[in-house]
Amino acid sequence: MATADVVVVGAGLSGLTAAIALAHDGARVEVVARGNATTHWMPGGFDCGSFPGAASPSAAVEILEARAGHPYALLAPDLERGLAFLRGVLKTEGLVYSGDLDGPLRAVPTAIGGTRRVGIVPDAQAAAMEPWAARERLVVCGIAGFKDFSAGPMVASLRRASVWGGDGLTARPARIEAVEVELPDQKGRRNINALELGRGFDDPAWRRDAFERISRAVESTGRGPGRIGLPAVLGIAEHAAVLDDARRFLPLPPFEVPLVPPSLPGVRLYGALRAALLRRGGRLSIGEPVVRIETDGTRATAVVLSAAVRERRVRAGAIVLATGGIAGGGLIGRSDGRLEEPLLGLPVDAPPGDDWLADEAFPVEGHPLELAGIRTDAELRPVDSGGRSVFENVRVVGAMLAGHRAIRERSGDGVAIASGWRAAQSLRLGRAESERERPSRRGRRPAAATPVARP
Amino acid sequence: MTIQDLVREATYLEIPLSADECLKCNVCNTVCPVSRVTDRFPGPKYVGPQAQRFRLATILPPQSDASPRDASPDHTVDYCSGCGMCTIACPADVKIAEINNRARAEIQAGRRPRLRDWLLGQTDLVGRLGVPVAPLANWTLRNPVIRWLIELVMGIHRKAPLPVYARSTLRNQLRRSAAAVVDGRTASDTDPSPDRAVVLFHGCAANYYEPHVALAAIDVLRRNGFETIVPEQVCCGLPLMNNGLYAHARRRAATNIPVLAAYARRGYRIVGTSTSCTHTLKAEYREMLDIDDADATAVAQATWDICEFLVDLHEQGRLDTGFGGLDETLPYHAPCQLKGHGIGLPAMDLFGLIPGLRAIDMDHDCCGVAGTYGLKKEKYNIAMAVGDPLFRRIREADTARAACDSETCRWQIEAATSTPTRHPIEIIAAAYATGDHDRTNQPAEANAAT
Amino acid sequence: MRAAEAVDVLIIGGGATGAGLVRDFARRGLRCLLVDKGDLGSGTSGRHHGLLHSGGRYVAKDPLAARECIDENLVLRRIAPACVEDTGGYFVVTPDDPDEYADGFEAACRASGVPCEEVAVAALLRREPALNPHIRRAFRVPDGALEPWQLIDATVSDARARGSDIRPYQRAVAMKVTAGGRIVSVDLADERSGSMTRVAPRFVVSAAGAWAGRVAALAGARLAMAPGKGTMLIFNQRMTDSVINRCHRPGDGDIMVPVHEVAILGTTEITVDDPDVYGIDRNEVEALMVEGTKLFPDLPRMRLLRAYAGVRPLYRDDEGATAGDDGREISRAHLIIDHEARDGVGNFVSIVGGKITTHRLMAEQTADVVCQKLGETARCTTADEVLPNQGDGRTYWLGHRLAEHEDDGGGDAELICECEMLTRDRLERFLDARWPCSLDDVRRGTRLGMGPCQGAFCTFRAAAVVAERAGGAEPLPAADVDRVLLDFLDERFRGTRPIAWGRQLQELWITAGIYGGILGAESLAPEAVRGDG
Repeated sequence: MATADVVVVGAGLSGLTAAIALAHDGARVEVVARGNATTHWMPGGFDCGSFPGAASPSAAVEILEARAGHPYALLAPDLERGLAFLRGVLKTEGLVYSGDLDGPLRAVPTAIGGTRRVGIVPDAQAAAMEPWAARERLVVCGIAGFKDFSAGPMVASLRRASVWGGDGLTARPARIEAVEVELPDQKGRRNINALELGRGFDDPAWRRDAFERISRAVESTGRGPGRIGLPAVLGIAEHAAVLDDARRFLPLPPFEVPLVPPSLPGVRLYGALRAALLRRGGRLSIGEPVVRIETDGTRATAVVLSAAVRERRVRAGAIVLATGGIAGGGLIGRSDGRLEEPLLGLPVDAPPGDDWLADEAFPVEGHPLELAGIRTDAELRPVDSGGRSVFENVRVVGAMLAGHRAIRERSGDGVAIASGWRAAQSLRLGRAESERERPSRRGRRPAAATPVARP
Repeated sequence: MTIQDLVREATYLEIPLSADECLKCNVCNTVCPVSRVTDRFPGPKYVGPQAQRFRLATILPPQSDASPRDASPDHTVDYCSGCGMCTIACPADVKIAEINNRARAEIQAGRRPRLRDWLLGQTDLVGRLGVPVAPLANWTLRNPVIRWLIELVMGIHRKAPLPVYARSTLRNQLRRSAAAVVDGRTASDTDPSPDRAVVLFHGCAANYYEPHVALAAIDVLRRNGFETIVPEQVCCGLPLMNNGLYAHARRRAATNIPVLAAYARRGYRIVGTSTSCTHTLKAEYREMLDIDDADATAVAQATWDICEFLVDLHEQGRLDTGFGGLDETLPYHAPCQLKGHGIGLPAMDLFGLIPGLRAIDMDHDCCGVAGTYGLKKEKYNIAMAVGDPLFRRIREADTARAACDSETCRWQIEAATSTPTRHPIEIIAAAYATGDHDRTNQPAEANAAT
Repeated sequence: MRAAEAVDVLIIGGGATGAGLVRDFARRGLRCLLVDKGDLGSGTSGRHHGLLHSGGRYVAKDPLAARECIDENLVLRRIAPACVEDTGGYFVVTPDDPDEYADGFEAACRASGVPCEEVAVAALLRREPALNPHIRRAFRVPDGALEPWQLIDATVSDARARGSDIRPYQRAVAMKVTAGGRIVSVDLADERSGSMTRVAPRFVVSAAGAWAGRVAALAGARLAMAPGKGTMLIFNQRMTDSVINRCHRPGDGDIMVPVHEVAILGTTEITVDDPDVYGIDRNEVEALMVEGTKLFPDLPRMRLLRAYAGVRPLYRDDEGATAGDDGREISRAHLIIDHEARDGVGNFVSIVGGKITTHRLMAEQTADVVCQKLGETARCTTADEVLPNQGDGRTYWLGHRLAEHEDDGGGDAELICECEMLTRDRLERFLDARWPCSLDDVRRGTRLGMGPCQGAFCTFRAAAVVAERAGGAEPLPAADVDRVLLDFLDERFRGTRPIAWGRQLQELWITAGIYGGILGAESLAPEAVRGDG
């Protein structure tokens, strides 16, 4: 039967951060996941904390870590180290991030003409974060036939001071224009979506033509300094080259505006994380749902995966549970009001069923259920309501953790990275003791020679 | 009674009901190789769980004169190749490719099958007709004029990678050589016991086109202490299912299952060298044809891909690891059908045991041929576009050979790259042969190594 | 206010009955105005179970109602085929159901003129494999599914073509009644703009259903309604293509109706005080699930999409007989209340009770009464002619939207709502005809947001189309677009909340990720939506 030092369940940001850190350190890591999920649904940045009044992600983290029960109370120091590690890893895979924990939080435009306040973003989104100089204009460039990005209404909304926050943290462009461009070969197409456009941009000849058209449209709005807001479709596999060309051939600095799923920035992030894992000899199996985790007292011993027939067992020295919370399918709401963690049956800290949701969709204080999750000790071992560790060789990370409102606080990515890093460190130290006992590496599958950023 | 008390399993609804789970998240669209290369295909989300809500559960006769004829509402789902990448990537366990397959079959239901589709499904017939006249058949199928004519009349692309007939079927060769036990209808007491024998489901490819693959497997099995029983069997039926001919496929299943089940119940494992055939036995009889009785379940539970079987032996410490060195770089393509097994990449695990062998996973989703899909005139170009990155990588590797577990993939890759492509079992057999050779020539050191 | 508009008949209440009335009167040559305080079909008609009754449900206790149902069932199939899905229906005897009821069922159907034949259970199970395999007997009846908004839309189209006026979002707020007992004017307030209109009708008909009491009060008439809330559960998939009824004395949760791409389980019966104010609690949902599982054992595995409730326009009679908690004892057959004798208002009639299946008959009978009082001699012709916009005359086919789109070449480029295969073109045409309106109005007319994602992916796309299309010469103000977007998301949320578990809870979280995480919805209307701080 297969054996791994650590089996990571879930291939999202938290799971892959932990897996890469562990593999980097020489551990034999296997990541198993039911499918792809949260990475592909996120705007691709690293939101570590943001709210009105906080000038930087660190300031927001400081506020959050002071809240009892917030994961940052246990993890704040790991955030900086984890982030630094991850950025270095991703840079090697060609994915660069801008901004810092101590850098400013800025309001950047969204695809519906709102704003969100971010601090650390992929390089392609960075230009949106620069403060706006007095004469600078923003040209939002839509793509004809692309229903997920409507430049006109977006601009009409962005022209309002109210959407930019008005808290003095960010100026906004004095002039905002909308243009729409027809890109090459789009006429008559039956399918126009972010993936199609992204692949178009991956083709050098196509994108030259596209950038020429965009340039003409932008120039038709006049001259003068400014920036171009484009939907986040600037390539998938060749994103770095596309961004280079964009900066070279467009008359103004461009930035990407993230779109609804499938989010290309999220897909690129996943591709880079996957490549980084494989490069370090980790294994990644997508499409293999975990049917149960076998335990022996306070230790998890094996992960059992469902195959076409039979089950595949992987003996595990330790387990990282990174199954993504409610959105990722790792926490399941039941009709009788229980919130369940189905793989290990971990105790879940959640309000009673009738109190999960407020009466309206966007309540000011948030839905009570947002705080639900698994409680852990400082090493991220799951604990019960009495604070007692339930499994000594399990680490819970990411959206599975109780005590944070990932969307509302914009803290989800930070919690994922900090906890993934922490879990890896915690398991690494534990593993150091049993290094001697590791069986032979013979028969270990060689890694793929050329890691590919998978679409 | 509470709600929780009332839950029960229901496989007959499993596939269509799985559409219920769809979160509309579009992850499936990110991995679809066909929608990547053609505008004709809107992607798995659209033709799968989304369109499924607009399909009636069964095509029923109209209930009154005023009812519309309940024909299939679909067209674009026909371009789904069935590669299954969507099902693999879906975070909500929607059986997208399976839903698509059923919808494609519904398009055919009530219509006379197209001759081409019927013919592509009749692999036993085509095999039986061709082998006795193999040289002529092979020449015919390679003649450009005849291929042009076939494309015109039947819609099989003139460049579609058709296999080469063997001079003699596997079964005939086995009968003549008595290399494996070629059995009659049922398991009998004179068979070797299950811990010393396996049942071989050879499939049409090994029988009519590539007996050497099965023969290599039989050799490797014998070497590891297993006789091979080759019972009566017919085509697994997958080409029929893929062309919407479910009734024909059921007949194949009805022939195979009782024979195989008799062995499975006695504890024999059923081993195959075709990842498509073994996947059919493992899953598709149940998922596509709703055959989930005790016999079918016994067969499914007993079925193993040959590399999967050997890796399992190795994990039990029972695999003969006396491989000689193979000093080569070997590009390996994991067929989409293999990924559907959910068993990882056992061929790569085995390659890792062979000294000197630098096996490289090409890490590409689908070669494009997807069984019979890429042979069709209207789909050939799509298939070639899907496989193009793989072909490039293999050509760039510029090696003497490549490896792949699926026969149709091998033929596609060879046609597109001119790189001879072998089943992993042939590489394994070669490594054993090298090892034997080394040991024969240098008895002292070689024996110490084993 | 401008001078009063003169009309022959003012009809208050734009549900199916009100629509039927305006068509009936218009065909008799009268000039009418139909108003509703909301969108047409936003009341009980738009919240019905989706069932075109065969009458089988009533054969035992209310044969008159059963006969009316089957008669009208056949009429609607003839005049509104595109609004009817010919699903067929079955009454099935589960192990929990008494034999006596089943034994008398076929005969009772025959007595009421409801076609009924017993079928072999094995054959039915082959046709509908999700059914309880322990069913003992099954009877086939001509139930169907009835789409209310297309029906109402087609019905009023006929009236409009004949010179009548249809105005949603006009609430009747005051009536001037003379000492002699005649309504001489009715004041209407535009619910969106606040502007007032005055109408001078020869006759007023209230088809306000559950709200009839309020409308009657404007004329000084008393009308005690006992609004009966009925909760329904929407399942994401059609586990049955036929209507399935429990063959027993009518109770809660005993009918499953396939409606478009979903299946709706209903219903319950709880009297409420206010037809605008009610909730759906977990107990109701649980109770429905327990009953529904008796018909479909796998029901708990199936994804619940939404819960909603409608209020039946039940009338508490003069003797004060109350509905109690089981309002089922009140006749659901309709009642025409002539306010002349009863309340001294000579030109005012209310039509209460009834069901959408019999709306045309209710309208006919009411129009006959009104015309007699008005001295109009024209007779009803509403059963004689097919409604406008019924296509090629065939009944509704589940696959039609997919087929039409596929015949066009398929693809996602034009689909604003992918779940419901709603194209940009269709959405734009709706807006051109109906703006100003909410996305909820759009939903009724196009099915926007009614699929598994419940608006997660389509709301912002639709809002963008509204922004581009609806403003006309001037672009629509961004704040209006915000409201359009946020109101619809909120409305979709309210139907999810009572069943927020399993996949739909996950879908809700994904929706929050999209609008909160990616699109920054909290920045749009800061006074309504605020991030944490």
